[in-house]
Amino acid sequence: MSGKGLMVKRNAPFDLYDIDILSSDEGDLRKISADLGLGLSADEMKVIREYFKREGRNPTDVELQALGQAWSEHCCYKSSKLILKQFVFGIDREDVLSRGDAGVMAFDDEHGYALRVESHNHPSAIEPYGGAATGIGGILRDVVCMGAQPIGLADPLCFGPIDTASDLPPGVKHPRYLLGGVVSGIRDYGNRCGIPTITGGMFFDERYTGNCLVNVGCFGIVRKEDLALNHAGGPGEVMILIGGRTGRDGIHGVNFASQDLTATSDDDSRGAVQLGDPITKEPVIHACLEVNGRHLITGMKDLGGGGLSCVVGEMALAAGCGADVDLEKVPLKEEALAPWEIWVSESQERMMCTCRPENVDKVLEVFEMWDVLATPIAKTTDSGRMRLFWNGDRVFDMDLEFLTGGPVYDRPYVLPRTSTKEFEKFPELPDDEEVILTLLSDLNVASKEWAIRQYDHEVRASTAVHPMVGKLNMTGPGDASVLLPVRGSMKGLAVATGCNPWFTSLDPYKGGMSGIDEACRNIVAVGARPNAFTDCLNFGNPEKPERLGELREAVRGIGDIARGLNIPIPSGNVSLYNEASGGTCILPTPMIVGCGLIDDVRKAVTADFKKEGNRIFLIGKTKDEMGGSLLFRKFGGDQGDVPGVDIESLRRLTDRLLEAMDKGLVLSCHDCSDGGLAVAVAEMCISGDMGASIKPGPTGLDIRRALYSESNTRWLAEVDEEDAAAFKAIMKDDAEEIGFTGGSSLIISEAGVDIPVKELRKAWSEPIWSVMGGVRP
Amino acid sequence: MVRYGRGETVKPENIRVCVLRIEGTNCEDEMADAFRAVGTQAEKVHLKQLAGEVSQDMKRSLEDYDILALPGGFAAGDYVRAGAIFAARIKSTIGRDVNRFVERGKPVLGVCNGFQVLVELGLLPAFEETMSPMPTAALCTNDSGRFECRPTVLRNDNRGKCMFTSCVNRGELLMIPSAHAEGKLMSRDPEFIEKLEDNDQIVFRYVKENGSKAEYPWNPNGSGSDIAGICNPAGNVMGMMPHPERVITRFTHPDWTRDTRNEDGDGLRIFKSVVERLR
Repeated sequence: MSGKGLMVKRNAPFDLYDIDILSSDEGDLRKISADLGLGLSADEMKVIREYFKREGRNPTDVELQALGQAWSEHCCYKSSKLILKQFVFGIDREDVLSRGDAGVMAFDDEHGYALRVESHNHPSAIEPYGGAATGIGGILRDVVCMGAQPIGLADPLCFGPIDTASDLPPGVKHPRYLLGGVVSGIRDYGNRCGIPTITGGMFFDERYTGNCLVNVGCFGIVRKEDLALNHAGGPGEVMILIGGRTGRDGIHGVNFASQDLTATSDDDSRGAVQLGDPITKEPVIHACLEVNGRHLITGMKDLGGGGLSCVVGEMALAAGCGADVDLEKVPLKEEALAPWEIWVSESQERMMCTCRPENVDKVLEVFEMWDVLATPIAKTTDSGRMRLFWNGDRVFDMDLEFLTGGPVYDRPYVLPRTSTKEFEKFPELPDDEEVILTLLSDLNVASKEWAIRQYDHEVRASTAVHPMVGKLNMTGPGDASVLLPVRGSMKGLAVATGCNPWFTSLDPYKGGMSGIDEACRNIVAVGARPNAFTDCLNFGNPEKPERLGELREAVRGIGDIARGLNIPIPSGNVSLYNEASGGTCILPTPMIVGCGLIDDVRKAVTADFKKEGNRIFLIGKTKDEMGGSLLFRKFGGDQGDVPGVDIESLRRLTDRLLEAMDKGLVLSCHDCSDGGLAVAVAEMCISGDMGASIKPGPTGLDIRRALYSESNTRWLAEVDEEDAAAFKAIMKDDAEEIGFTGGSSLIISEAGVDIPVKELRKAWSEPIWSVMGGVRP
Repeated sequence: MVRYGRGETVKPENIRVCVLRIEGTNCEDEMADAFRAVGTQAEKVHLKQLAGEVSQDMKRSLEDYDILALPGGFAAGDYVRAGAIFAARIKSTIGRDVNRFVERGKPVLGVCNGFQVLVELGLLPAFEETMSPMPTAALCTNDSGRFECRPTVLRNDNRGKCMFTSCVNRGELLMIPSAHAEGKLMSRDPEFIEKLEDNDQIVFRYVKENGSKAEYPWNPNGSGSDIAGICNPAGNVMGMMPHPERVITRFTHPDWTRDTRNEDGDGLRIFKSVVERLR
C-alpha cells in the first residue's frame, strides 16, 4: 500500500501488518489513516503514536483498525457528547430502570418497557432496501439485549420530493426509488421478524434529496427481574458469539456513517452496507430471551457499528475487565478474512453474551435447539487489556481504557439566525377551499396508507389503537398508536413521533421544543400520559460551526422542555455528517419518539369524529406563528415567528385534557400540527366520514392565521352535547367551543369553505399512491 | 389428552393444544394465548421437539395433543412458495403422525402462513384422501402485488361441518383482520370451487361490512369466490388467511372506539367453537 514501507507484513500464515507510526511524520500519519480507511485525523493519529511510544512498539493493522472504529463519531459521539451532557443527560426519575443499549422505564409493578431510536441514513442512501432492513435488525437487537421482547417498531423517514422531475446531483438516487426500497426493506424485515410497525412519519423536502434519513425505533417489554446488563459480570467469564457468521459485508460502516456522502459513495462504500437476514434474527431473538429469562447469562450486547471490536471492548470495560479473544474461532462466511476484517466487520444478526463457565453448555444447548450458531470466542480477564490471538499468535494487545476512551471535542459553533415576525412575508393565497385541499394533498400531510398497510401493524395481537383510525376501510390519520404489552392487563403503552424540521431550520431551539410538544400532543390525544422520550438527532457536518450551532440549539430546546416536564430521555442516537455531495445539508432533524402510559386502554380516544351533533372544542391558544408553516412553504410565504412552547401551558393542558378523557367526556381528539386547525378538522372529518361546521372564534387573529397557524400545544376534541358543561368545567379557559359535527361537508362560513368530505378524502388519500403506483383501495 | 368416544364431558383445561413453530413462525405467542383464553392448555412446540431432534426432556409426541395449530408468520423466511419449506420439513419428519392425527378426527387449525402450510402439506383441500401426496391448490400472490395489512369482514358460509365454526351462525359476519402477501386461493381444478361448495368445505368468505359481495380492498387478495378459509371434507382441518388470534378482545379491533357493545373480540368465537366441539 505505501511506497515508503510504512506497512510491514508480518511473517505469519495469515494477513497481518505492523504499521510504522513511531517514525511517521504528520504526512505519513495522514496517509496511514487514509490508506487503511481509519477516518482518524492527524491529531488523533498523534495521540495514538504517543500511546504506542509508551508501549515501546508499533501497532498492528488490527489495532489501528480497532481505534478507527472506537474513535469514530458514530461510536464515541466525540462532537456531540459535551452538548448532550450539558442539556439532555441527567433528567433523572425513579422509574428510569436502565440507560443501556436501549432505555428502560418502569411500565407496571412487574415490567419495564424499553425504547430506543437510531439512524441508518447513509447505508439507506446507497442501498435503500438493505440499509433500511438492517436498520430494523440493529434496533431490534438493542431492545433484545436489554432482555426485552420487542413489541413494536417506529420508522420516521425523510426523503426528497418523490414527484421531482428535476435533475439530480451525481451519485444521488431518485427519492421515489429510495422511498420504495426503504419501505420494502422495513416491510420485509419487520414483518418476517413478527414485530409490528406501529408508528413513524414521512417528511419530504428538497433538502433530503441528497441524503435521505431512515430512523428506526423499537419498543420492548421486560419483566423487571429479567432486565439484562450490557456488560460482563466480572473476570473469568466466557464470551459467546451468537447468530450470523462474520463476513466482508459492513466493513467500515461506522467510518462511512461519520463522513459526508459524496458523488462516489455508491462505488466507494457499497461494501459498508450490511446484509440483513430476518430469518436468522427471528430465532436469535427467541434464544437470547430464553437464556436471559433463565438467568444463564451475565450480560448481553448486540454487534452493531464497529462489530466485535466495539462489543468485546465495551462489555469488558464496563465490567472493569480485560478480554482475551481467540479470533480464529469466529465463524466466517468465507475463508481468508484478515484478522482486522474479522475484528471490525459489521455483519448482521450477531449478538454477544457473557456467562459463567459452568453455564456455557446450558447456553449452547438453547441456541442449538433454535439452530442458531453460538461459539465461545473469548474470556474476560482481570488485566484491563484487550488481547487478540490468532491460533495462539498475539496480534493485538492494548489498554482497554485507552482504546475505548476516544477523544471528546468542544468544537466551535455559531448560533443560527432565527426567523421572526419582523421580516414576515405573508403569501398571496387562492380561496380557502383551494388552500385546504392543497394542504391536504401536500406529501407531508397526505395519507401514508400506501406504506402503513404494507407493514404488519397487528402481529403480536396487542395493537389497541392502530396507526390509521376511523371507519373500516375509510380510515384517516391517527395520533399515537397504543399497544397492550402484557397479556391479561389493560394497561397500554402509547407511542408517537414528533418532529418539525422546518421549524428547526428556522429556529433550532423552538424546533427542538416543538418536536417534544408534538410527541406529547400525539400521546395525550389518545388519552395517555407522556412518560419518556428517545431521540435521533440528524444533523450536518459538526466540523462546520453553523451546523454545530443548529445541533446545539435544538438539543438545548429538547433539554429545556424535557426537564420542564420532568420527562427523561433514557436513550438516543446522534447522526452527523448528513450532507450530500456539493455541500447541501439536510434540514436539521431532531426526531423525537415518545412513549406514554394509559392505565386502562378501554378509555383510549381516537381522532375520528364519532357522532352527528356533537360539540367541537379547540384546546390551547392559536398564535400568530406562521414561521415554517406548511402554508408558507406551499404558497411562498417567508420568515415569521416559529411556534414556541410554553412549558407550563403544556403541563396544565395535558393534565386537564387527560382528566376529561379519563372521565369519558372526549369522544374524539386530534392534535393540530402541519396545516394547523384547518387540516386537523379536515382529517377528523375524513376518518369519521362525517362533516363539521367550525368558526375559529375570537382569537384576535385574521381568519387565515387562525386556520393555518401551527402554534404548538393545541388539540381538537369532540364532546357530546350532554357532557359539554362538565368538559368546560375541567378545561376552564383552555378550551373554546368552535363548532359542531354533522352533515357531509366541512363548513367554515367565515372563510367561504364548504367542501364535501368525499373531496377532502380524495385530496388527502391519493397523492402518494399516484406517485408510487399500484392498485389503490 | 382428551379420550375420545367414552361419552364423558371433557373440561377445556384437559384439552392440550400444540402450537407448532420453527424459525420464522411468528404468531405463536398470540395463537397460544388465544387457545388459553378459552381455557385450554396451549404449548408452543418446536418441530424439532416432535421430530425427536432434541434432548430427552425436550421431546414431545404429537399424539399427546388434542389440537394442532399452525400459526402465521414467514416460516423459514418463505423464500420459496409460501409455506413450502415448513410443509416439507413436517412431511419429512412427522408426516405420518400428522396424517394419523387428522384421521383420528382431531382438529387442526392453520392461520395465514399456517393455512399455506396446510395446503402445501396436502391436508387442504384434500378432496380425495386425508393428505394428498402433492398440493392440489396454492395461495398465490395478492392481486395488488403487495403485503396487505387491513381489516376484513368474513361471512360464515359453512353449513355445519367445520369444527371451528360450531358457535358461529351461518351467514354471521365476523371482523377478522388480514395481513399477508399471498392469500389468493387458486387451483388448476376447473371444478375447484364447486367441489368445495358441494362438500361443505367453504368456511369463510370475504364480504363488505354490510355483508354484500366483497371487492378490493374488502377482498384483500382477489381470492376466487371471495374465499377466505376452507376446511377438509371431514371438517376437522381448517385453514384461513385472516387472523382470528389477533381479535380475542374487542380492544384490538381497529374500530373499537366506534363500538364497544361487548368486550369479546370476534376471533374468540373460532376458538370457542373448537373447544365446544371437543367437549
